[in-house]
Amino acid sequence: MIDFQSGYILRPVNPVFIYFSLFCALLLNLLPIGNYGWVPDWLILCIVFWNIHQHRYVSVITAFILGLMMDVHNSDLLGLHAFSYSLVAYVAISWHRRIVALTVLSQALHLLPIFLLVSLFPVLAHWLLSGELYWWALTGAIQALIEAMLWPIATRILLAPQRRPIDVDHNRPL
Amino acid sequence: MLIDFRFKALDPIRTYVNWILRPLEYVMMMPRNALEATSEYFTTRSTLDQENQIMKVRQAELSLLANQSEFLMVENQNLRELMALQKQVPFKTLPVEILFNPPNPISQRIVINRGSNDGLKLGNPIANDSGILGQVVRLYERSAEVSLLEDRDFAVPVQVARNGLRAAVFGTGRGNPLELRYLPVASDLEVGDILLTSGIDGVYPPGFAVAVISKIERNVDKNSSNVFCVPVAAVNRYRQALALLYDPQFDAKAPTNNKSATGVTNTPGRRQTRARGMQ
Repeated sequence: MIDFQSGYILRPVNPVFIYFSLFCALLLNLLPIGNYGWVPDWLILCIVFWNIHQHRYVSVITAFILGLMMDVHNSDLLGLHAFSYSLVAYVAISWHRRIVALTVLSQALHLLPIFLLVSLFPVLAHWLLSGELYWWALTGAIQALIEAMLWPIATRILLAPQRRPIDVDHNRPL
Repeated sequence: MLIDFRFKALDPIRTYVNWILRPLEYVMMMPRNALEATSEYFTTRSTLDQENQIMKVRQAELSLLANQSEFLMVENQNLRELMALQKQVPFKTLPVEILFNPPNPISQRIVINRGSNDGLKLGNPIANDSGILGQVVRLYERSAEVSLLEDRDFAVPVQVARNGLRAAVFGTGRGNPLELRYLPVASDLEVGDILLTSGIDGVYPPGFAVAVISKIERNVDKNSSNVFCVPVAAVNRYRQALALLYDPQFDAKAPTNNKSATGVTNTPGRRQTRARGMQ
């Protein structure tokens, strides 16, 4: 795959690294930080990243399974995260050609609506089911903003193994 | 989503996923616990001394109270027997530890480290030393989810300690004060009144502190008053709590239990009465 930022061709991705990063993101989500609206959802960041860069490995089904886990962890209705994660994964996969070609900052801007959808989905679903809208729960928008700001860092970290040079000269490491 | 909401049919799936997820959650709790443990380890001698002093005074007070309460309890039971009232149901307590507070914008819950294997039942109240915290709403084998007082539309039947007025306290969501609903303007309430559980629902044992009234807005036009209260127990502060294994066994629940005590024949449609002072 071509890295549009540097123009180089990236090394092939290691599937083990993909699943390892998803597992790490899941663990980060399980950290007992508390019930705050702004804590970023590391898992959806990771899922959307791999949806955009390697949609053959991380598909809607992966997103669904991980969303199910988050439902159980958050004691939500079963399927709330599962549905929103897979919806977002679908959107991300259908946008991936367009988004990969942009610079990292405008990628983050394009992904902001995706993250907003994930953070506000539980509130909206509850609105549909019970007819009550909790305005204070809309602080989830802050979470989406933070996730969008974390996007360049995520790109840097998760693409790092693919950006390694192919033939390393051990005598002259740089 | 709808299936879970309406039919609770997906509980096995939830249990299995939870079974996988819980060890990971325990692993991720380790850094926080280690941090807390180290900060506890490095508390200075003087704070420990101070704490010890306070504890000793508290213990003396409590043991005095306990001696008296034993006497009062026996007296109370005897008097109740004389008056032919129902006896108070004794209940057990189970120490629980609050594991974490799942991130959820809509509800306000905690997860505790005891479950159905430890004898916990759905609907058991959770309290700490000062008052009621919440109620068990979802049960796993080794853990349980507890809905807190602050959870939206979480209702507790209460009684004003000063005059015995009955009402219901409702939660209004994270960080908002609790509300006392359905009360007329002329009700005898004051700021600072303590609300105790009334025990009429059969879920909460009577006489536990729930909240203190903090603000009253009387609205004469609508003949209603908005009464706001703050919970007595620090809902989001401590890690230790007690589960009250309270089961008053109302007569509608177990028809086999109270056959022998009464002479009433078991005709269908007839409500069974139970012997007074059972248990």
